[in-house]
Amino acid sequence: MGYLAGFPITLKKWFEGVTTKNYRAGKGGKSDVKAPKPDRLHGRHVLNRYEDGLEKCIGCELCAGVCPAKCIYVRGADNNPTDPTSPGERFGFVYEINYLRCIHCDLCVEACPTEAITESKLFEFSFEDRKSAIYTKNELLVDEDGKPQQLPWEDWREGEDKATSGWMRATAPSGDSNYVGKVAWSGELGYGVRQPESVELTIKPKSGDSK
Amino acid sequence: MTATESSAVKATTGVPFTLNGQELHAEEGELLIEACDKNGVHIPRFCYHKRMESVGMCRMCIVEVDTGRGPALQPSCMLTVTPEMKVETESEATKDAQDGVLELLLANHPLDCPVCDKGGECPLQDNAFAYGPGESRFVEEKRHFEKPIPISDLVKLDRERCILCDRCTRFASDVAGDSLIHFIDRGSSTQVNTFPDHPFASYYSGNTVQICPVGALTAAPYRFKARPWDLTGSPSTATVDSSGSRVLVQSSQDKVVRIQGVDSDAVNWGWLSDKERFIYEANVSEDRILQPMRRAVDGSLEPMRWNDALKQTSEALGKKAAAIGGARLTLEAQHVWQKVLADEFSVVSYDASLGDDVSADVVDSLPKATYDWAFNAGSVVVVVGQDLKEILPSIYLRLRGVVKDGSVELVEFNYKSGSLAKLARKSVQSRPGELAKDVKQAFTATPGERSSDLNCLVDTDKPLTVIFSRPNVAESADYLTEALQVIQSVRPDAHFLPAFRRGNTVGAQLAGLTPGVREVATEDEIIVEQVAVVGRPTAEILQEAANGEVETLLLLGADPISDFPDKALAEAALDAVNTVIAVDCFENPSVASANVILPVAMYGEVNGHFVNSEGRLSPLGARVTAPGLVRSDLEIAASLAKTAPQSNSDAQSSLETSHMLGSEPIAWDLLELSSEGARIKTPTKPIQRVKADVPTVADGLRLVIGNKLWDQGTIVENSRTLAGLCETFKVRINPADADRFGLTAGAEIVVKNAKATASVPFITDSSVAEGVLWAPANVRGFDPRSFVTFSESVCYVEVSAGEQK
Amino acid sequence: MSRLTSAAVIEAEEIIARYPRKKSALIPLLHLAQAQDGYVADDAMEHIAELLDITPVEVLGTCSFYEMFKREPVGKYLVNICTNISCQLMGGEELLHHAEKTLGIKSGGTTEDGMFTIEDVECIAACTEAPCMQVNYRYAGRLDEVRFDKIVSEIREGKLAIPAHGNLGDVKQHIPQERESGIKPPEQTEAPAWFVRRMSESESEVTINANK
Repeated sequence: MGYLAGFPITLKKWFEGVTTKNYRAGKGGKSDVKAPKPDRLHGRHVLNRYEDGLEKCIGCELCAGVCPAKCIYVRGADNNPTDPTSPGERFGFVYEINYLRCIHCDLCVEACPTEAITESKLFEFSFEDRKSAIYTKNELLVDEDGKPQQLPWEDWREGEDKATSGWMRATAPSGDSNYVGKVAWSGELGYGVRQPESVELTIKPKSGDSK
Repeated sequence: MTATESSAVKATTGVPFTLNGQELHAEEGELLIEACDKNGVHIPRFCYHKRMESVGMCRMCIVEVDTGRGPALQPSCMLTVTPEMKVETESEATKDAQDGVLELLLANHPLDCPVCDKGGECPLQDNAFAYGPGESRFVEEKRHFEKPIPISDLVKLDRERCILCDRCTRFASDVAGDSLIHFIDRGSSTQVNTFPDHPFASYYSGNTVQICPVGALTAAPYRFKARPWDLTGSPSTATVDSSGSRVLVQSSQDKVVRIQGVDSDAVNWGWLSDKERFIYEANVSEDRILQPMRRAVDGSLEPMRWNDALKQTSEALGKKAAAIGGARLTLEAQHVWQKVLADEFSVVSYDASLGDDVSADVVDSLPKATYDWAFNAGSVVVVVGQDLKEILPSIYLRLRGVVKDGSVELVEFNYKSGSLAKLARKSVQSRPGELAKDVKQAFTATPGERSSDLNCLVDTDKPLTVIFSRPNVAESADYLTEALQVIQSVRPDAHFLPAFRRGNTVGAQLAGLTPGVREVATEDEIIVEQVAVVGRPTAEILQEAANGEVETLLLLGADPISDFPDKALAEAALDAVNTVIAVDCFENPSVASANVILPVAMYGEVNGHFVNSEGRLSPLGARVTAPGLVRSDLEIAASLAKTAPQSNSDAQSSLETSHMLGSEPIAWDLLELSSEGARIKTPTKPIQRVKADVPTVADGLRLVIGNKLWDQGTIVENSRTLAGLCETFKVRINPADADRFGLTAGAEIVVKNAKATASVPFITDSSVAEGVLWAPANVRGFDPRSFVTFSESVCYVEVSAGEQK
Repeated sequence: MSRLTSAAVIEAEEIIARYPRKKSALIPLLHLAQAQDGYVADDAMEHIAELLDITPVEVLGTCSFYEMFKREPVGKYLVNICTNISCQLMGGEELLHHAEKTLGIKSGGTTEDGMFTIEDVECIAACTEAPCMQVNYRYAGRLDEVRFDKIVSEIREGKLAIPAHGNLGDVKQHIPQERESGIKPPEQTEAPAWFVRRMSESESEVTINANK
């Protein structure tokens, strides 16, 4: 009868109550109001623009190279010098993310040298076939005002488009001394510049530096 | 990684020195950086390159060295190991120095790594990561130059990225001998550049891109085509000529995007000619034939099914058939084609060379040299025929190296002096018909009629190698043969090295696809046995075809209308035969008259083997999938075997096996192993004496049609970037002759003989022998073969001043 | 402007013959070209390359290394005004600004009549004479605005004989017999310019060491 020894645990758990949280707020998750999301949630990507409207992507393919799920496909092309798409020599001509593969690890965001690709906090979007799971530049690129496109099948909520910029951008000690030990943020078209945040200074000065 | 982890065998004799506390030995006169490399200690470097003289430009290889006077920082690429030297490559002082050097190198280096072609495989990135300070103290604006400027049709230069390591400029002046790029200006504005309107038009410009330690030099065909981490590569061999340069074929997204030279001690030392390096562009040409085609009644091409194409081919080959070409094929494909033609279809007329190169029989009868044997210090190299730079450009670099440093003596017998004439011990300007006479004179002590200093080879008993190529398609091939026989009779110990223009010519000879008497090994027995005469020379095939004795002509990647010395005969032959079947990838003048075109896989799309002019066997790697409905030569030949009328099951199964497993066209017993792979021992047969006609003496100039590296060859013409490099037609005449005939520079001249009259541009060129009119073969503008009568052993033309423009 | 004239080619061949290697004659030939045209033209560099059996870019590499070889036409008189530390302290920059204003050109520019080119140079090794300048590499020291204007007007009027730009090569190529070794005993050397000037301040307003 040894199997009965397990039952007390089952019974005990029975009365502990439910630990699963419903992300919809309100009683029983009925309401359409959703629980607030953490600041740095990894959601659907956006391709950003500079304040002058030029695209940030330079088509370097570092995101595609670093992607562990191999879900990004990028091809660069030469900028037209008279009517450039991005500053510099090259721009991202093709940019595709396959959301059936993407694991939202954000390595692409870390790899991006220009903060062109970042992630919003939107995670509710669905598709009916494999083809529409591939987001192209048409869908990913922010609009003229710098705001993410809110596509018909996506459920955008207040604040989900905010603070999508390079959240990793900790300033080096050799940079602007005003930002030592702080996480600085790049300017976001449409959202302005966020105040730098203090972080724990983990980079210890080199022994020879003080001399 | 520490030194102790190295698995290299440590030397126990030589110069004793201490490396990071370890007692080691180096060779006498060895550079410290090399000694460290050998012992598994890597010293970072930018400017040092083992195939070039070190200059100590970049200071990256600085290490702490104590020669008894206390430790000091010294560049290891400029320092030979001396006894009891103490070297510290990981000391604090060394690391500080490396930090400093990198910080300064990066002070002006732009941070455009994300869009830089080199980003990901960049020595500057790697060294900055491994040895650099991690961050820069420079906040000042970096140096700016105009972004990439084209310094040639093939190479672009981004001066911002340049770290002034002197590798490209050293390569251009020391290795290639084309000093067309140089440091300009001084101090912080120093830059590499060309002279205005003198582009870096070198045959070797692509090598500078490969050795550039940053992304300053980029190749136009590869620029932005792929990122280094996308690339996958297969080791292979260059097939555009018979040098057999070892390469790495790299692809991205199933397209060949880059070919890099591989440093092979025995062959090309890492260098490639631009033709070998950039030839892949034709693979993706829009004009490539991607499915079998048949010619409709109105002359247009229409697609057809492979089965129908093969059936039609098989039927056509069953009638009186002949085949031309096959030097482009892999050794396996050559073997199978030979079997299919001879055994299945009983075709007896086939020839892989096109009558414009050295005959296989001649080559077979001579003892062969390897490149290493030829370029060994203390030997003599005799070049008979054409400038090696135009025929085997990557091997020319090795010859130039040993001639320049004086370890090998060079004697040339050319109609137009080669690029090494100034460095040569003697450059003899011979004339068509007089090659053998001049060669003989060189070995004779008595003064000759031309000049006494011709006797330059009389007293030498040094090892002698003759590198020979067909000097002129407008003369009988016997003159070269005669000259070679003269050398062999005077110096029976001489070795010979053929310089074939076409890639796998030696393979074709081994596979029995060239005419002549063959000795091959049977499959079961190792004994080499004599077999009967096989094949027929192209000239005979075309003559028979023109006479209406051939019904089907198979072109195995051959373009006789462009290449065969007698253009009229080639045209007549293609007109006269009932069916022309072309196995090719592009339309060319000969394919234009084909009834059926079988599209074939190109370089980088097939596996197999290649035999270079030394007889060295090296692999060809398939890197990408053949596009469209294209099939490999081997597949086509094997499929044809099945449809052959007298097909017997034994041969078929042997073909299928060889198709699947890779055939064994050569008896493995014939291979000898050297440090750099297998080389085929070709047995020497008794020489067949040739007595060439004594040339008739006539007024006017003797016509020489020579080759240029860039011509209108089918593949080059279909490469986007390379097609523009072919020059326009210009004849060259010795200034003395120009004076004699009253020709003025800048005007066109009238060239005529019994066959043709033409007004052509000319330049005077003292490298051309007196009494010779030198014309390039198969270039844009004019075809000099219209002056040639194939039956005459020397072709004369008369020149006169044209009308002033 | 152009390739070397036939007279220059004869001189070039004479120069080339002095060296065991042709290439060694490169710098003397660049001087020759500069003497001919006042600057080293692209065509001249190509011509020199032909004469020396090297490539034009090798000529350009050497030519562009040296500031005193000009690759663009300059004025007949090249005015180098020093703005390095000693001269700067003594008013070198003010002198440069004055020169720019009076000649109506910026540093690096040439006056419309092709007479003057101003250059802003680093130390020309005459700190004792600060602020100083060179006119076609002939020194003038202890300058102020008045003295500068005087030199300019004297040159314009032809009173001050300074050889036209580009003649340094001539000087170098025709060394007097007795100075061929280039060494003189100290007692035979002339007194330094500053010494002479201080001893005879009243003799001349302006001291120009025009040695040709």
